[in-house]
Amino acid sequence: MLTMSEPATVPDANAPAALLEGDLVRRARRGDLTAYDELVKRYQERIYATIYHMTANHEDANDLAQESFIKAYSALKSFKGGSSFYTWLYRIAINKTINFLKQRRNKHHLSLDDLDFNAEHDPDLVALVSEKTPQRDINLSELQKKLNEALLRLSEPHRMVVVLHDVQGVSHEEIAEIVGCNIGTVRSRLFYARQQLQGFLADYIKS
Amino acid sequence: MSDTNNNFEDLKRLLKLKRHEVPPPGYFNHFSGDVVARIRTGEAGGAQNILERIQSDSPFMAGLLQLFGARPGILGALATGVCLLLLVGVLFMDHSEPGSAPTPELFAQSAPDASPTLASAAPLEPADNGITVSTNPVSSLQPANTLFGSPQNPLFQSAGFTPPGQ
Repeated sequence: MLTMSEPATVPDANAPAALLEGDLVRRARRGDLTAYDELVKRYQERIYATIYHMTANHEDANDLAQESFIKAYSALKSFKGGSSFYTWLYRIAINKTINFLKQRRNKHHLSLDDLDFNAEHDPDLVALVSEKTPQRDINLSELQKKLNEALLRLSEPHRMVVVLHDVQGVSHEEIAEIVGCNIGTVRSRLFYARQQLQGFLADYIKS
Repeated sequence: MSDTNNNFEDLKRLLKLKRHEVPPPGYFNHFSGDVVARIRTGEAGGAQNILERIQSDSPFMAGLLQLFGARPGILGALATGVCLLLLVGVLFMDHSEPGSAPTPELFAQSAPDASPTLASAAPLEPADNGITVSTNPVSSLQPANTLFGSPQNPLFQSAGFTPPGQ
């Protein structure tokens, strides 16, 4: 089950988990695939989720996520440790996804993951949907489709900040580091993207 | 602005729906294994790609590689033959006279009367092993005819060469 209610945080350098990750990265750089397998397991859900939310296609997300990890492994020697491994990995996945989307521009094919059973019990969604019709499960599917279609109408940079911040809970500072721009740019893109989405989803957003 | 903020709150609530989208059950059970398998295949496939490229670009080379792979003795014999040839070449070079290459002037001097000069000139003193090799590429292979018949010893072909300074 993929739920991203907790915001992603950069590991504290003094924490044992961070030390273990550093050891895993060092071993993986020396060709230890067992260590790299462990690193993949740590970040597979987040990387997959980011790519899936960007592409709205499960098959594409699967391919791109795997290729991102494969590329990261081959580029491990260039990872100098200036940023966290997680940020560095994210950057690879995002660049790969954006390049893919640019090649596939205007050829979107929705292949959506199913909603988990928690969706219909989420209080925010319940409050939102109950204003429309009593048949919440049908409305949730319709909402899911409309939401993904609206996201695909955004440009890749705007969609990225919405996915990272509003869907995955990544902070502005981390987004700036991952995407490679300043925090002001992140905030302005986020504001613009939200305005756009608000217009696209006006029928489903009611104050 | 307050309307915008309020609407953004509704939008954020709607975007939460995305967090409930999940891949098929058990999807991540094999994900890392698939990644590692592809990495391993990629590492092995690097060498394989070179072989495939040789096969497509040069079928002759591919056939040769196949032959060597099937019969490694042939490759060994070939390598031995090449080494022996190199050795013979080095030995041949060692036994040739050092610095005895004739200059063009000397060729011009000796050319008109090359035939009689070759016969009448004092024969070169043989080396310790009894063999003297002339560096004149023409006369060394062809016995010169003289006015008085063929030279007494066809092995000795005088080059008609006067070393500089003498």
